[in-house]
Parts: sequence; C-alpha cells; structure tokens
Amino acid sequence: MRKLRAWFLRLGGLFGKERHDRELSDELESHIQMHIDDNLRRGMSPAEARRDALIKLGGLESTKESCRDRRGVPVLETLLQDVGYGLRMLRKNPGVTAVAVITLALGIGANTAIFSLLDSVLLRFLPVEKPEQLVQVTRQGPEAGSQGVPIFTNPIWEQVRDQQDVFSGVLALDQQRFDLTQGGEAHYANGLWVSGDFFRTLGVRPAAGRLITVADDRRGCSGVAVLGYSFWQDHFGGVANAVGSTISLDNHTYPIIGVAAPGFYGVEVGTKFDVALPICATALFDGARPRLDYRSWWWLRILGRVKPGTNPAQLRARLELISPGVFAATVPPNWDVKSQKNYLKWSLGTAPASTGINGGRQQAEGLLRILMAAVGMVLLIACANIASLMLARAATRRREMAVRRAVGASRLRLIRQLLTECLLLSAAGALLGILFARWGTMLLLQLVSTAHEQVFLDLSLDWRILGFTAAIAVITGLLFGVLPAFRSTRVSLTAAMKGSLAVDPERHAHFRPGRWIVASQVALSLVLLVGAGLFLRSFVKLVTLDLGFDRENVLMMHTEARTAGIQPEKWMTTWDEIERRLASLPGVLAVSRSEVTPISGGEWDEFVHADSPNPPTGNASDVYLNAVTPGYFRTLRIAFLSGRDFNLHDTATSPKIAVINETMARKFYPSLNPLGRFFRLEEDQGKLGEPIQIVGVVRDSKYGSLREEDYSCAYFPTSQAPGFGGGPNFLIRTSVRPSAVLSLIQSTVAGVNKSISLQFDTLARQVDDSLVQERVLAALSGFFAALALLLAMIGLYGAISYMVTLRQTELGVRMALGAAPGSILRLVLRDVVAILAAGVAVGTGIAFLTVQVLQNLLFGLAARDTLTMLLAAGVLSLVAFIAGYLPARRAAKVNPMVALRYE
Amino acid sequence: MSDKADVWQGTLALMVLRTLEIMGPLHGYGIARRIEQTSDNLLSVNYGTIYPALLKLEQEGYVASEWGLSDNKRRAKYYKLTRAGRKQLARETREWGQATAIVARFLSPKEQSS
Repeated sequence: MRKLRAWFLRLGGLFGKERHDRELSDELESHIQMHIDDNLRRGMSPAEARRDALIKLGGLESTKESCRDRRGVPVLETLLQDVGYGLRMLRKNPGVTAVAVITLALGIGANTAIFSLLDSVLLRFLPVEKPEQLVQVTRQGPEAGSQGVPIFTNPIWEQVRDQQDVFSGVLALDQQRFDLTQGGEAHYANGLWVSGDFFRTLGVRPAAGRLITVADDRRGCSGVAVLGYSFWQDHFGGVANAVGSTISLDNHTYPIIGVAAPGFYGVEVGTKFDVALPICATALFDGARPRLDYRSWWWLRILGRVKPGTNPAQLRARLELISPGVFAATVPPNWDVKSQKNYLKWSLGTAPASTGINGGRQQAEGLLRILMAAVGMVLLIACANIASLMLARAATRRREMAVRRAVGASRLRLIRQLLTECLLLSAAGALLGILFARWGTMLLLQLVSTAHEQVFLDLSLDWRILGFTAAIAVITGLLFGVLPAFRSTRVSLTAAMKGSLAVDPERHAHFRPGRWIVASQVALSLVLLVGAGLFLRSFVKLVTLDLGFDRENVLMMHTEARTAGIQPEKWMTTWDEIERRLASLPGVLAVSRSEVTPISGGEWDEFVHADSPNPPTGNASDVYLNAVTPGYFRTLRIAFLSGRDFNLHDTATSPKIAVINETMARKFYPSLNPLGRFFRLEEDQGKLGEPIQIVGVVRDSKYGSLREEDYSCAYFPTSQAPGFGGGPNFLIRTSVRPSAVLSLIQSTVAGVNKSISLQFDTLARQVDDSLVQERVLAALSGFFAALALLLAMIGLYGAISYMVTLRQTELGVRMALGAAPGSILRLVLRDVVAILAAGVAVGTGIAFLTVQVLQNLLFGLAARDTLTMLLAAGVLSLVAFIAGYLPARRAAKVNPMVALRYE
Repeated sequence: MSDKADVWQGTLALMVLRTLEIMGPLHGYGIARRIEQTSDNLLSVNYGTIYPALLKLEQEGYVASEWGLSDNKRRAKYYKLTRAGRKQLARETREWGQATAIVARFLSPKEQSS
C-alpha cells in the first residue's frame, strides 16, 4: 500500500514541477545558510564557510537532480521529454512531416479498410445472443467426402424441428424480395421468411411492439410483419405508431406487429433484412401449390443453437440418429426410383454459423486476401519511402547527434528519441488512416453493390480493427525507424563536429542502404503493376468482348402477373397488348419479350435428343433454352445466319418450332443443314417431348455470363412454351436514351392495367453488374498499383536528389577539371539504372513466382502473361527513369564555383 | 539508483526515523549533522543524500514536513515523524536487530560456532 501511495505521488510529481523545484531550492538554500552560520561560529572566513558547506552537501545541482528523479518517474519523464522533443522536431519540418503522415495515412488507411471488410465478412460474430453456439444444418449424401448442402424443403424442416433434441432452439429462414408498391414502378424490400422460433432462438429483442413467435407461424396463418430497425427508420420515420399499421408486399397487406432491435441485420453476411414474415404466410403467395407441402422445393436454410455442454461428436451422433426418420417421411413422390433410393441415404450434419451464413463468402474471401496482399505491399513501399526520408534527414542531423553524444547522451537514449519520433509519425498516420479507411470502405461497398443487390456490411469500428490498426502503426513505425535510428546515431564525433561534409569518409557510404530501399520499392511496385495489369487487361477483354447482341439502348422491363392479380388465361393477351402498344411509341425501335434475359443469372436448360447421326448425349447434350416473342432477335440485334424468325402465325396450336444458335448447329448437326430438322427435349425420367422443328439459325450470343463459351442454345416462341408467361421481361430497343422514354412507357402500361408494377433496368447495366468483381479488382488493383508507383517514384527521386547533393563537391571538382555536363549526367544516371535494373529483375522474379494465384480471377489470358509483364516493366522503367533523370540533370547543371565554394 | 544505493538508503532511512524520534521535528541540515555526530564522524556522507531519502519517506507517509523557523530565526523545512513512521521505525529496528544478530553469529569466534 505504501509503495502504491509513493508511486501515486511520484506520478503526481510529473505535474506541478516548477513549484516543487522552487521549494527544493528554498530548502537547500536554507540548509546551506544554516551550515554557513555554524561554520562562521566555528571561526571560518565567510568564503571558506560557504565552500565547506557546498562540499559537504555534495553539489547543489546533483542533490536537486537526485531529488527530482525520486519525485517523478524517470522513464515516463524521458518519454514525455522524447514525445515533446519529437513533436517539436516534426513541427520544425512541416513539409516533411505532412508528406510522411499523408503517405502513412494512405498506407495504413488502405490496410485498415481492407481489414475491416475482412473482419466484417469473415471474423465478426452475428449480432445475436451467444453466436458461438449457432450451427447451420446441412445434408450429406452417403458418398465419402461429399459436401454438405445447406438447403432444405419445408417438409424436411418440419421433421427436423419436431424430432431434434440437441438444439435448445432451431430456426429456418429464406430470403425473398417484395414489391412495396401497388402498381407503377416497383420498389423492393428485402424480405425474410422466418420460422416461429427465429427471433427467440437468436435472442433478438424488439425495439418496438413484439416479434414473430411460434404462435404466428401456424399453417393457415394470415401473416404478420416485423420490420428491420433501419427500414423502420427510413420508411416509417421510426415512429411508434408504425406498429399496428400495415405494409403492402407484392399486393398483400400485412399488419406490422413490431420492430427488431437496432444492429440486427439477419443471419446472412452482406445483406440486411427490411421485413420478416412467418414461413406459413408463403401459402398466401403460392396459391394452389404452396411450397410448404412441396417435397422438392428446396428453399429453407436451418440454423440451430446447440445446447450448452453438447460436444460435436454428440451433436453429429444425434443428428445421424434422426436422419433416416426425417428423410423417410419426406421422400419426393415425383422423383424416379433411383433418386428416391439415394434420397433415403442422406443424413444431417452441421457447419459452424457463429459468424453468419453467406453463399458468396468464399469468393469474397479470395478477393479480400488478394487486396490485403496488395495493400500490404503498398504499405511496405510507403514505409520504405519514409525510411529513406528519415535516412536523409538523419544525415542532416548528424551534428546534432554528435553534440548530444559529446555532452553525454547515451546512444541508446538517442535511438529511443529517434524511434519515438517515428512512432509519433506512424501514430498520426494511423489516426488519419482510420478516417481514410472509413471513406474507403464506404466507397468500396458502393462499388460492389448493384442496383439489384445492395451489399450491406456492419463496418462499425471494433476492437479487432482498432487493434489491427494500432499494431500496423507500431510495426510500421519500427520498420521505417530502426535502420535510420541506428545509422544516424553511429557518428564519428570528431568528423561530425568539424562540421565538414567532405572530409567524413563514412559520408558517402552512409547512403548505401538508401539504394537498397529504393530498389526494393521498385521491385514491389513492379509486382503490383503486374497484378493490376493482369486484372485490367482481363477486364478490358470482358468489356470489349463480342457478346453476340447489342447491349446499348435496350430497356428491360420486368413485371409479375401475380402482383397485379392477372389470371393465367389472360396473361398472353395482356402482355401481347402491352407489347403492341409499346411498339408504336415514338423513340421505340423494337419490342419483344423473353423468359430469360441475357447475363441475368437466370437459367433454363434441358438435355436434347437430335435427329442427326451420332448426336451428343449426356452432359454434352445440355442446351440452354429461352422462350421469346417475334422480334427478339431484331431487338437485341442478333444476326440470323439462315432460316426465319418467329411470327404471329406460330401459335400454341401450330407445329412446334425453334431457332438454334451457331454452336448448337455445329455440335448437333455437323456438316448438315439443320433447317427443317427435328430435336426433342428430355423431360422427367428420361421421357422425350414432342419433336421440335428447326426453322432458323442465329449467331452465338452470351446467355448466362460473359465468361462462358461454346454453349448450345435454342429459342422457342413464347406462344408454344406452356407454363411460362407469369413474369415476362420486356426488351425495348430505343432510338434515344432509355431513360428518356421511361415515363411514356409507364403511362402506356398503366393504360392497359393500372395495378401492374414494373421494374426497369437496362441491358447495358445488367451486363455491367455481372462484372462487379472484375471491375472492383481492376479498379482497386489499378489504384493501389498507381499509388505504389507514385510512392516508389517519389522514393527514387528523393534518393537520387540526395545522392546528388552528397556528391556535389565531387561533381564540382570533376567539372572544374573539365568533365562535360553530359558525362556528369551519365555518371548519375548510372546509379539510377543500377537501382532500376536490380529492382526490375527482383520484381519480375517475384511476380513470376506469385501471379499464378490470380489465374482463377483472370479472363482470356494466362497469369504469367509475357506482354503484361513487359508492359509493367516498361511503364515502371519509363516513369522511374524520368524520376531519376530530373535530379541527374540538376547535377549536370551545377556551377562548379558554387559547388566548390560550398566547402 | 543502483542496488547499492538502495541498501544505503534503507539504513539511512532508519537513521533518519530514529533521529526524528529522539530529537522531535528537525530540518534536513539538523538531521544530517545529528547522524554525523551520533556516528562519531565515522560516517562521513554528503549531506545532500539526506534529501532524496526524506522525500521518499514523505512519499511513503512516514514523515510529514512543514516550514518553520530555526533557532537562528532562519526559515527551514521541518520534518516530523508520523504515526505510520513510528510503527515503521519499531518494525525496522526489530528487523535490524535480528539481522545484525544473525550476522554477528556468523562472524563470531570459531570455537563457539562449531
């Protein structure tokens, strides 16, 4: 206790220093006076008395110093001193400080930004109670090593819910988009179907009203809605009486019973729910064949909260035990015998879900790891820059260091001082960097979000992000600080004190590490440039790819019959009417409808049996299908190679026909004319459909993604494709910008049926949105590479400038002795070229060894693409040469008189 | 503040406390003189070392200080023993006694120790 009290007082002693000092002075003064009085009484002379008193005391100043040490905490005091001195030094060179801090802020900010994304996508726990207890239920086939599939039918879910005994709570969910409007342009909300126990199991509390309970999720329910907190804030102004009012979703009205707690976004990382409904309410949407009873409608995901004390082996054993019963009770009746037999062998398993569930997570993880590596390299380059800066500055501070050594400062003390300065710099950089990171992550989320898929991530600062940033700041500070600190404190006192620059033999050697630093910067930026070059080139290849259709000026309009309450027998006439009216609008060149729009991610495919000799079978006979109205090929400008387009005479009752693409013609009818030939679709259980005659062949065009090649495709007239038509996509080619005719189109559709709600997009944007990952990679890697290049060039420029300054006298002497400016230029450029050559050689080596990991993300070129490497090295060398040439030219222009007089 | 100084400071602190117990409130100079006299000038130290020791004792709460007037009407800082200081003195005296007794037994003539 006493010790603690003493420490407390000593810490307190750091403050009110002056008062304590004065009091100590007074006390010692009175001590000496009393001593002098005594000495005088003993008969000494006044001078002798004073001298004796001071000697006995043992030195006035050293006594004071030892009292001071005792009063405060010396380590802390020197630290404060160092910090104060460091701040003064940084203030003295505002330019250098600003450059260093901004460089660091960019480097650290980029790292923090990418890390906070990584954190929220991969590491952060769900915002629910005890997330570590959550697992996701999966199903596995009997084959060894088969992957667990996490999607279930409602009958399976009901079995699991009623039979399991290892979870303290179990829940099911699915996502669905709901249209909030009743006619007109659609506005969507992210809906969540949840089982009754969803909120209780997760431990989510209501912010207002109450949440969905088991009582709300019973067969035949009329449905209730719970709002997400931010949706409540944005759409209802956060007012309390929103609870008790109603919300319209796809033209169904539900009472709002409550609002979930703020911060709860659901259980899927990257999304945010706006409104949650009980699973039972799907029956209201599905009509006659509800998904609740469907044994082959796979839609639900199941999460469970493991009972405390249950170990993984017990969990697995219990789930395996109930599996046969669960699957036996839910066999899909429409499956063939073999599939049904296989179905019965399935068993239930689990996967961890404490950080949430996300299908796209693995993809995001790969992306983020690459970006993390890129920003790591940028930070290294930034560090190198500041290290050279510090080295250069250290040289100008050699005199200061020498003086301080001479008056007795230990080398350790000086190193500590210099490192403190560096850590101050990196701390300032980190603080600013966190700010940059906030912007950066917001920007990044915008980049990866599309009109249809708003990416939501919880990016609030947490201890992990702050810890990461702090660690990075310290490591950075040490990284760029240690070498300069050691070098600049290794001073030869005599040489430095003489103040002469020229006579110091160490002087030139002093900057040797600077060259290595710059060379490594060049190497690292080359690696980044190669990476960026690869991403940029593959992105350009994708963007300029011949899609087979013309994406410009095509407006897409999607609608759903069920939201407008149109009966199936009226579908075709309604859509045909709309199509007819739209076609006559000014500014509209062509209109058609299709079941699947290009590059939408939608897919319809079947196996095809062709009537040619040796047609493809099995997987090779898989053909993409689409149902379109006459004019589809004209609207998208897909060229006909032979045959004819569909027309109004191709009706439901006329002979079945199809238009096929080039690849299908080549694969199924090699060296035959496909026109007039027949093929059949393989339907359920190997049964063949009726023969379909080929009436036309069109050029290939992209169907599902830009990356696909060499696939077969067949188009049918919409009128002959039964079972479709409930949610048509209108494709409208306009002669002006699509947005210019939007309102005209809306009023035209409203003229046919007011309650139809419409969703608009353009084909160009749909294609763009499919390239989100490629675009983000190209943009970010380009940005980071440019940043790295800029930093490396600043580093090179600074290093060469500095070397020129160091050699000013030597160069002056050379010129005085008759060296031509050209030879001086060459002399300096030789250094530049040496550094550059070393950097490029090493960089190329590193790039060659590492780029292979990028292969999966590239399109149309190999990772070790020679042209890209050459381009990167060329750009780098050119820019680097310019950065080195500028100071070299200055050296050649030096006036020998000035240079020599400098001595 | 090496270990050696700490040891010295330990004994010095004991002497300071004891001096204050006998003499009552006293200034730093007086304490230093008194220690010197008591040790028959055998213990010749810098008077200055008394001040860090006094500061430490004050921080630990064993002594308290206030400004007063000396016999010669000079302003001086007077130190006096606190209650905690008295207890500490008693404890340290006892420990010191034990320590010296042990050391004495080690250093005593051979025939007695065997």
